[in-house]
Amino acid sequence: MVGQVVISGLLAGSLYAMVALGLGLIFGVMRVLNVAHGPMLMLGAYTTFWLFHWLGLSPYLSLLVSMPVLFVVGAVLQRLLVRRVVDAPELSSLLLTFGVSIAIVNLAQLMFTSDLRSVEYLTGSFILGPFAFSKSRVIACVFAILITAGAFWFLQKTRLGKALRAVSQSREVAQVCGIDVQRIHMLAFGVASALAAAGGSLVAVMVAIQPEMGQVYTFKSFLVIVLGGAGNYPGALLGGLLLGLVEQLSSLFLTTQVNEAVAYLLLVLVLLVRPTGLLKGRSS
Amino acid sequence: MPPILEVRGVVKRFGGVAAVNGVSLGLEPGRIYGLIGPNGSGKTTLFNCITGVDQCDEGEIWFKGRRVERLKPHQIFHLGLGRTFQVIRVFPELTALENLLVVTTTDYAAAGRRAQELLALVKLERLAGEFAGNLSYGQQKLVEFIRVLMTDPEMILLDEPAAGVNRTLLNELLDAVRGLRDRGKTVLLVEHDMKVVMGLCETVFVLDHGEKLAEGAPGVIQADERVIEAYFGR
Amino acid sequence: MKRAFLLGLAAVLVALALYPMQATGYGVRTMLQLFMWIALAQSWNLISGLTGYVSFGHVAFFGMGAYSAGILIGKLGWAWPAACLAGGVMAMVLALVIGWPCLRLKGPYFAIAMLGLNEVLRVIVSYYEGLTGGGNGLSLPTLHASVPIYYAMGLVAIAVTALTYLVITSRFGLRLMTIREDEVAAEAMGIDTFRHKLYAFLLSAVGPGIVGGLAARDQGYIEPLSVFPLITTITMIVMALFGGKGTIWGPVLGAVVLFTFQELVWARFIYLHQLLFGAIIVAVVLMMPRGILGVLQQKYNLPRTI
Repeated sequence: MVGQVVISGLLAGSLYAMVALGLGLIFGVMRVLNVAHGPMLMLGAYTTFWLFHWLGLSPYLSLLVSMPVLFVVGAVLQRLLVRRVVDAPELSSLLLTFGVSIAIVNLAQLMFTSDLRSVEYLTGSFILGPFAFSKSRVIACVFAILITAGAFWFLQKTRLGKALRAVSQSREVAQVCGIDVQRIHMLAFGVASALAAAGGSLVAVMVAIQPEMGQVYTFKSFLVIVLGGAGNYPGALLGGLLLGLVEQLSSLFLTTQVNEAVAYLLLVLVLLVRPTGLLKGRSS
Repeated sequence: MPPILEVRGVVKRFGGVAAVNGVSLGLEPGRIYGLIGPNGSGKTTLFNCITGVDQCDEGEIWFKGRRVERLKPHQIFHLGLGRTFQVIRVFPELTALENLLVVTTTDYAAAGRRAQELLALVKLERLAGEFAGNLSYGQQKLVEFIRVLMTDPEMILLDEPAAGVNRTLLNELLDAVRGLRDRGKTVLLVEHDMKVVMGLCETVFVLDHGEKLAEGAPGVIQADERVIEAYFGR
Repeated sequence: MKRAFLLGLAAVLVALALYPMQATGYGVRTMLQLFMWIALAQSWNLISGLTGYVSFGHVAFFGMGAYSAGILIGKLGWAWPAACLAGGVMAMVLALVIGWPCLRLKGPYFAIAMLGLNEVLRVIVSYYEGLTGGGNGLSLPTLHASVPIYYAMGLVAIAVTALTYLVITSRFGLRLMTIREDEVAAEAMGIDTFRHKLYAFLLSAVGPGIVGGLAARDQGYIEPLSVFPLITTITMIVMALFGGKGTIWGPVLGAVVLFTFQELVWARFIYLHQLLFGAIIVAVVLMMPRGILGVLQQKYNLPRTI
């Protein structure tokens, strides 16, 4: 029983990790708390839904569409709006992304209505000994791992990725080294939105799709960043897994309703005890 | 006379680097001290540890016979230890006068009088109602300086008071500092301008790579080979 | 100039006091809502406008007041004025419970914590079904008299505005502003920032608490979705931002302007209306972050008591 729960936790956690990495990138590079991160995920989910509905495209193939599309959306958002508040007090970027998130969610309400949608694609479970895991969760986890690994490969091995990490550490020094910080900012926002979109496409087969679905992911991504340490990218992975585990474990003891509050309590606890995160992060 | 400030083996690390690595100092009341060292030697970090802005990882800090390293900055301030900042930190949307008033908790009228007194001291009375953010660099520097004097602290830490300040203003500041010493206050200043340090300080501490390299009268320090090496490279 | 302003203000207050005598029930209920929004926007201003700590969960206090008053009236038979005041007190208690841990956090982390607050409260309300009626909501014995509520709301709006005036013109208010300007310097200058933030937070919770109770009394029915909705927070924020956060009359101006538009134009189209609010927030942050009054204040060097 516990084994099942632990593995479920890790499966869910891998998704959280991937999505949170996106949020972490924006925060690490620009010190911006992107409240509109969840809506990006939502848009990814809707992309997958419509592609499935109209073209019968496999949700997993739709990743090839949702990720690039939302990459562009994210980069454009950054270029047009977020860029203007990067140097303003943190209050400004917070309110700005808050406003953007409201706008996107309600735009979705107007365009897609709040009817619940779903993608019926992969049902059933894999049975492995005493454990049973829903197929869609396992495949989602596999993709999440692949995509996250890809993101880390990008950060560690490519020139742009290293430039991005440099800007996270110190904008001034990066500028002096000839790095085009504006482009890096756009890139970070784009990559982050792509990661969120991937999360959306993957959960599209598992949960009900509706305009407000992203909200809870925004909050949980924040939580993961806090757990893992702001600016600590590998930390986001551990934070995500930890969150997944805690949630699944607590579902053993608590009713589903109270379960939702667990994430929140975890957040407050961590913030009080170790404001810089459980792992070494940089304080904001 | 018992020291007014004692720093014992303070260590402060950031990530893997020890910005301050086992520094010990003793300051006697009523004197002007200097803290010098090449960039990155840990001077501002040490200031931050003393004033509670950063928490040191190891060591003790004693002020007027009390341990203060775990206290919050506002508590340390009320014990009688004030500071200015390397990068000016006045409150830009408050007027010069309000910047001063906000510091005190005493009777409003008394605070107002003291504020006017201090403004007059640095010849800024006519700018009392001006938003601090609109003042010139030098004027803001002066406001920050007198702001720390509002509650008449016994010890003042000045972080690079001479930076970006013209000669005339600088001389006024230095005179004001000497005036403080004459009234029994203790001053510790971080400074890069050697002329200022040599002309003003009675004792100088030298930091290098987070450790205390030397301590003594300005003339002695100037001639110390280790100090010269630290500044001009190995 | 000042005398003209005060006379004008007095005239407006008298007109508002006499309004119910020849207005329709609908008119009274609409104005009552306006007063509610003024109180809410002004309360948000007290914490977020002055200290710069953005409270995304302020509707929690509204909901707390609504439920407290609702339970006192519905289950314990209290009279509504006392119940609503009790709602305000309960909201303050909630603010203490939340603020004590959360205000120790730096600005952005505080905002994150407040974002999650709504969800938690909704969960708690569903959990204690016996008391709160859970997802089915709570009904109150009907009351066919919006007029007393009108006056009560009006009083609260006036009280909160007066409170804001007192705070902004005091040294306490100045200290709150230093937190917004430079928290590290404020601490170094002897200001106990945690305590100040907490006091501001407590003060900012009372208004919504009382007003929540009054709104519940007026509607006669409380339901989790109706008292903890994000739109309430969004509206509070957009009104205060638009009019000018950190000023005294800014939130009032924002409330009047946006409420009027809302009633005339958008209320029918809820998503369009929320979308526009989101767009307004973005526009205000980008183009006039200090709101209308803030901009005027800067341009014409107006005193802080605007």
